[in-house]
Amino acid sequence: MIFNALVNAALIAPPAMAFSLLFGILKFPNFAIGGYITVGAFAAYTFNVPLGLPLPLAAAAAMLVTALVVWLMHVLVFQPMEEHSAITLLVVSIALTLIIENVIRLFFSADVRGFEIPLERPWKLLGARITPEQVQIIIWSLVIGVALHCLLAYTWIGRAMRAVADNPMLAAIRGVNATRITAFTTAICGALFGLTGVFAGLDLVIEPLVGWNLTIPIFAAAILGGIGSPYGAIVGALLVGLAEEATILFLPSTYKIGVGFVIIAVLLLLRPQGLFGTAEIRK
Amino acid sequence: MSAYLISMGTYVGFFMILALALNLQWGIAGMVNFGIAGFYAMGAYVSGLLVAKLGVPVGLAIPAACVAGWVLGGAVALLSVRLREDFLAIVTLGVGEVIRLIVLNEDQITEGPRGLRIDGRPFGDLIGPELYPLFYLLLVAVCVLITYLVCERIRRAPMGRTLRAIREDDVVAEVLGKNVLMHRVLTFAIGGFFMGLAGALYAHYVQNISPEVFMPVVAMFIWMSVIVGGAGNNRGILIGAGTVMIFLEGTRFIGDFTDVLDAEKMSAMRIILIGFLLIVTLRLRPRGLLPEPKFNVKKT
Repeated sequence: MIFNALVNAALIAPPAMAFSLLFGILKFPNFAIGGYITVGAFAAYTFNVPLGLPLPLAAAAAMLVTALVVWLMHVLVFQPMEEHSAITLLVVSIALTLIIENVIRLFFSADVRGFEIPLERPWKLLGARITPEQVQIIIWSLVIGVALHCLLAYTWIGRAMRAVADNPMLAAIRGVNATRITAFTTAICGALFGLTGVFAGLDLVIEPLVGWNLTIPIFAAAILGGIGSPYGAIVGALLVGLAEEATILFLPSTYKIGVGFVIIAVLLLLRPQGLFGTAEIRK
Repeated sequence: MSAYLISMGTYVGFFMILALALNLQWGIAGMVNFGIAGFYAMGAYVSGLLVAKLGVPVGLAIPAACVAGWVLGGAVALLSVRLREDFLAIVTLGVGEVIRLIVLNEDQITEGPRGLRIDGRPFGDLIGPELYPLFYLLLVAVCVLITYLVCERIRRAPMGRTLRAIREDDVVAEVLGKNVLMHRVLTFAIGGFFMGLAGALYAHYVQNISPEVFMPVVAMFIWMSVIVGGAGNNRGILIGAGTVMIFLEGTRFIGDFTDVLDAEKMSAMRIILIGFLLIVTLRLRPRGLLPEPKFNVKKT
């Protein structure tokens, strides 16, 4: 059970970090992440199965495609709508998810599919069944976490990203090109969503709703960790993973989706800034 | 064909009531509600269960559903005290989903995915089966009219001005001595009341309700109606709800004339179209088809 929770956490930690980064820069909860993850899963599937690329190459290609899609969506849809309220943008982002999901349905139909990978017997460890893919997901998720940390903490572009998130005007005065940094951030986040799509394809199944089903746990993790704090998102992901697995012990597994919501609601009421976020000063 | 138009008109009516209620909550008072599907389900199941399981007459069950929506609305509004609006969006979405999950899982009461059969209909014994759809359309139209008049009355009344003030800046409204909390709870409860009404009308119209109808996507369509029509303008809302419904249902006709796309692809196409409708409207008319009128003191 602990192991399953770990896999869950590894699956939602990278997109939760990406979501946090995006929120920091764009200032609205972007529900389109569900659509982006689905794009990643199907892009990887296309490269892997019909085109016959090995999975690591297909995953890299899928990350590239998703990064491009996320950046395009930002330029075509969200950038021209900057003056709208966060709530209008939120509705637009849900509409965008619906569009992406249904475009995919149009081309791929709603069948459930999987990657072309050799089936291996799951390892047995202390009575738990562990597949090699799950171990890979955990390792890659750790690597991504560390890489993202290095990017944000030690490179000038990471510093610029944080500066733009903090105060775009001040960053601009200091000579940071906010438009370019925003474009770069969307592309990085897109790559992370693409990778999540690949992971989701490995651990779950590839179908048009795969991204939407992950959206709420991702939100819960990001909010739990304190929105805008990528490291908090990792801890948030671990807690959400554990909570979801724990509910299965007490409630029918169909209630699993509800857990994310209940976590969000309780936490927002008790500690609106998240576990690791700093309180905003309200005017 | 005319049967189809009557049924579509009835559905447009449900949409209009929901959209007017959301406009009251968000367009006028600035409170976000993404749990519309939950309120709709609440209305449908309260009324449906009362009639089907307890044998309560329909004439009592529908008002009971409205009251249930009212209470739920008031309770959810109390959450808004501590939440920023984008977080409230996620919490209300959660309320809607949790209601749907309860309906789905507690199937010894709600029949869950099998669907709840409701035999009772308003004035079912008085009107013959061939005239009944037309009568129901009229009944729904009257309910839309009542909802519209109540919402329009609130918008024009001093209460409407207070609500707009709260929407623009709640601190200023508070400083001016308005009871912000009371206004928010009351408005949300009134919205919930009408959403409950829409749910109950829906339940007795289809007479067989199941949880998959109340997916969060319903909330999306209502939100699109409000944004496309013009938040804050009740007449715009009616147009918006009509437009979205025509895109959603009317495009079924196209499927009859072409064989290029099968049913599954057609339904995907419809949703894509609706998404584009929202994005294009926002790009061309950022404040909706009929924007909220500027209020000046003389004309009110």
